Amino acid sequence: MNYIIEGIYQAFVLIITLNPEVVDITIRTLTITLGATLIASVLCIPLGIYIAFNEFYGRKTLISVIQTLYALPTVVVGLVMYMILSNNGPLGFLDLLFTSTGVMLGQVVLILPIITGLTISALSNLDSTIRDTIVSLGATTGQFFTSMVLEARFAIMSAVIMGFSRAISEVGAAIMIGGNIKGHTRILTTAITLETNIGNFSLSVALGIILLLIALTVTMIVSRFQQS
Amino acid sequence: MIEIDNIHKNFEANNVLKGVYANIKMGEIFTIIGPSGQGKSTLLRILNTLETPSSGKIFFDGNDLFSGKKTPVDVRRRMSMVFQKTAVFDMNVFDNIAIGLKYRGFSKTDISETVNRALDEIGLSGYGGRSAGTLSGGEMQRVALARAIVSKPDVLYLDEPTASLDPVNTEKIEELILHYNREYGTTIVMSTHDMLQGQRLSDRIGVMMDGRFLQIAAPDEIFSRPGNENVARFIGINNVFYGTIKEKYSDGVHGTLKSGNVVIIVKTNYKFGDRVTFCIRPEEITVHDHRAEPIKGRNMLPGKIVSIHRQGRMMYADIDAGITISAMVTWEQYEGSGFEEGNNVMLSFKPRSVFVMEKV
Amino acid sequence: MENKNFKVLAIFLLSAFVCVMLTAGCTGTDGSAQTATPTATAGQTVTATPAPAETAQKEYADKELLIATTTSLYATGLLDQLAGEFMNDTGVDIKITAVGTGTALEYGANGDVDLIMVHDRAREDAFIEDGSGTDRRVFGYNYFVIVGPESDPAGIKGMAPTEALETILAKGSEGAEGVKFVSRGDSSGTHGKEKALWSVAGYDYAEYEPVWVKEDWYVEAGTGMGGTLTMADQMDAYTLSDIGTYLKYQGDGTVNLAELVNEGDDLINIYGAILVNPEKYPDTNVEVGKDWVNYLITDGVQDEIKVFGVSDYGQPLFFPAMGAFDVLSSSGVTQDEISAPLA
Repeated sequence: MNYIIEGIYQAFVLIITLNPEVVDITIRTLTITLGATLIASVLCIPLGIYIAFNEFYGRKTLISVIQTLYALPTVVVGLVMYMILSNNGPLGFLDLLFTSTGVMLGQVVLILPIITGLTISALSNLDSTIRDTIVSLGATTGQFFTSMVLEARFAIMSAVIMGFSRAISEVGAAIMIGGNIKGHTRILTTAITLETNIGNFSLSVALGIILLLIALTVTMIVSRFQQS
Repeated sequence: MIEIDNIHKNFEANNVLKGVYANIKMGEIFTIIGPSGQGKSTLLRILNTLETPSSGKIFFDGNDLFSGKKTPVDVRRRMSMVFQKTAVFDMNVFDNIAIGLKYRGFSKTDISETVNRALDEIGLSGYGGRSAGTLSGGEMQRVALARAIVSKPDVLYLDEPTASLDPVNTEKIEELILHYNREYGTTIVMSTHDMLQGQRLSDRIGVMMDGRFLQIAAPDEIFSRPGNENVARFIGINNVFYGTIKEKYSDGVHGTLKSGNVVIIVKTNYKFGDRVTFCIRPEEITVHDHRAEPIKGRNMLPGKIVSIHRQGRMMYADIDAGITISAMVTWEQYEGSGFEEGNNVMLSFKPRSVFVMEKV
Repeated sequence: MENKNFKVLAIFLLSAFVCVMLTAGCTGTDGSAQTATPTATAGQTVTATPAPAETAQKEYADKELLIATTTSLYATGLLDQLAGEFMNDTGVDIKITAVGTGTALEYGANGDVDLIMVHDRAREDAFIEDGSGTDRRVFGYNYFVIVGPESDPAGIKGMAPTEALETILAKGSEGAEGVKFVSRGDSSGTHGKEKALWSVAGYDYAEYEPVWVKEDWYVEAGTGMGGTLTMADQMDAYTLSDIGTYLKYQGDGTVNLAELVNEGDDLINIYGAILVNPEKYPDTNVEVGKDWVNYLITDGVQDEIKVFGVSDYGQPLFFPAMGAFDVLSSSGVTQDEISAPLA
């Protein structure tokens, strides 16, 4: 239990002194995870809209598959991404292995199902009368989608927050794709893993606290936006 | 303005619309009345292009609505709809009403002017900033109405707009509907299961039963000359009977009709021997004391009071005169002496109060 | 409202774009801050003498080197220290990823890295024979230790390594009180050493492990060295550990295990650096790799290695390979591997 108390103290010190390595890791974590969340959102929200509103063969199965993928283990994603991005792999020429961009890509893959699935859920829960009303008022296709998303904005934002949380807390993909390289692909979760392996438990706790603080900050900012 | 040509609509095994024909005139208020679940909503949804018909055509101001894959936006924007289930968007009242205008790209000042005027019209001035979800049902429906009308559509469809509202709010909505029709010349097509509402508001009524229009006519005509017994029963005429034309008088118009043991004089074009259905409006039957003298020019039928009951704000007495006839009764009569179940009375009514229609 | 939301969408997209550019640009120009590292694992050297300018400033097309190494070696902090100095001298960006020995070998075999630094002679030999690696150099060594409870129920203190293991096996399978052994059970160098020791003691690991696992005394952890030590501590069991992790965990008080067997050639742990074969993967940074390896076997660096860890643990974590041919030769290490610079 000492570790936790020491960890809290260490977190405080690291933040106050703006410890350079911690700052580096934190900024990288934020960049990668925010980037992944934004990219995934831009891809998934329209995809979710399409699936929610169109009948097509295999739609129910697709939704089941998406929901099953919520439970995708991060280390499996990491492993598969490694195999694809490896020098010997099909996308090896992209040179994305051991880069932050590669990690971001891995996180995008990881949270794609979550954001898509929860968007579908959010839109399906919208009253069909709302949908009819929007159409009746003469919306073009673009206006239709915008209005639907607007109407479901709370639930969709929750989906995005969910995706962000999953991405910021994952370690399996980041380690396998990024390699936890100091100054390049070391992020909070991979740093925590390393420090834990080494035996620096209080530092791990400290980094964990910092991670939670970040998640809290981001969530609060989004919430304020939600309430407006 | 709107031509409805042989519309059929099937949902899987269920045939909802079975050949609907109508011609809705520009600027009129046309009400579809009929029992629930028999196609009113479906027809409105098809008219508003929210559904496609299984077969048949609809022409909107000459445009075939279902020729291409999708109705063109400019045609679409000439119609608007208010639904039974109120759906206001999760935003404030102003933005709700403004949304159609925003879709159409109106300027901010135009929108502001129009929406504020609309708020005044619906009696919700100053509500613009309020979140729409906090409104009462009646207020929401007013907002929905304003929202639909503010972009000046040619046609406004309303699907049982007051079904979930109390009488006060219903009246407000009805006033607004009339106002919009008169002020802007908007064609109104609405559905209701409240015949009195249909009577109050419409230029014409279409009685839809079993997926078809049984009769389309002005309210008075429907109520005095229902198209067939189903219509008659639906609009509340209980006195529907069957009979045969027993004789025709030499003037070619009057004759006698026998129903069971009852013979009455009627005014009809049907011929001797025709099997017919006939109905008599309860309001046109007078109940007298059983000793009353015959009155010239009226059928007189003795009978016995079987039951007295209230229907809405009126009292009715069912009288067994060989056929059981429902007559409307005044308060004075009701409260007078000798007016109880089991008593003998005399009914009288004019021949022309009997409406003879074909036997279905 | 519509306009506001389109603006929001635009900001989102712009931020996403910026994020992608930032991370794509994060290819090491900012580098790592060597000062005030919180990862103060093992000791800093007493005198941080930078390597003499034998690795003269060169112009490289790609100024970077990607190295895969093992967690236990990386955890000591030695590599970060040496890499920092090398980076300062030459401007090369050294990127080190610390994984399991098996994973490092996979990375090398796939050409995902330029160089591997591991400590498993047998698998390294296979790696080179395969054609995946070339130009191995040995830069240091140390010894594994067998640690266990102070009470030492099996009485192995001071024994020779294989004798100790045999004793644990004998007493453990008899069911002697409190005699347990925790194995790494993964593809690590440490586990490789354990298997090798069993082999010397006459037990084919592949044959016996399935049997031992079913008995109470032999536990396979399947986790890192730290986790294994913790498990051994919890169970009052024996285990084989590298000296670096043990000193760290014991020093911090995370575990309380005694060093029971720490002498014997069998326990030797030899660290080698192997280039990924440019004939197999022409794109590897061969030139930079050679400079790094040559750097490792310079006098200056060998001196650094000699004193690394003393200030923190009172004893060095490594012995320099230079001049230790007699110690290392029995393990198959050649003189060239110790001292001949790569061309």
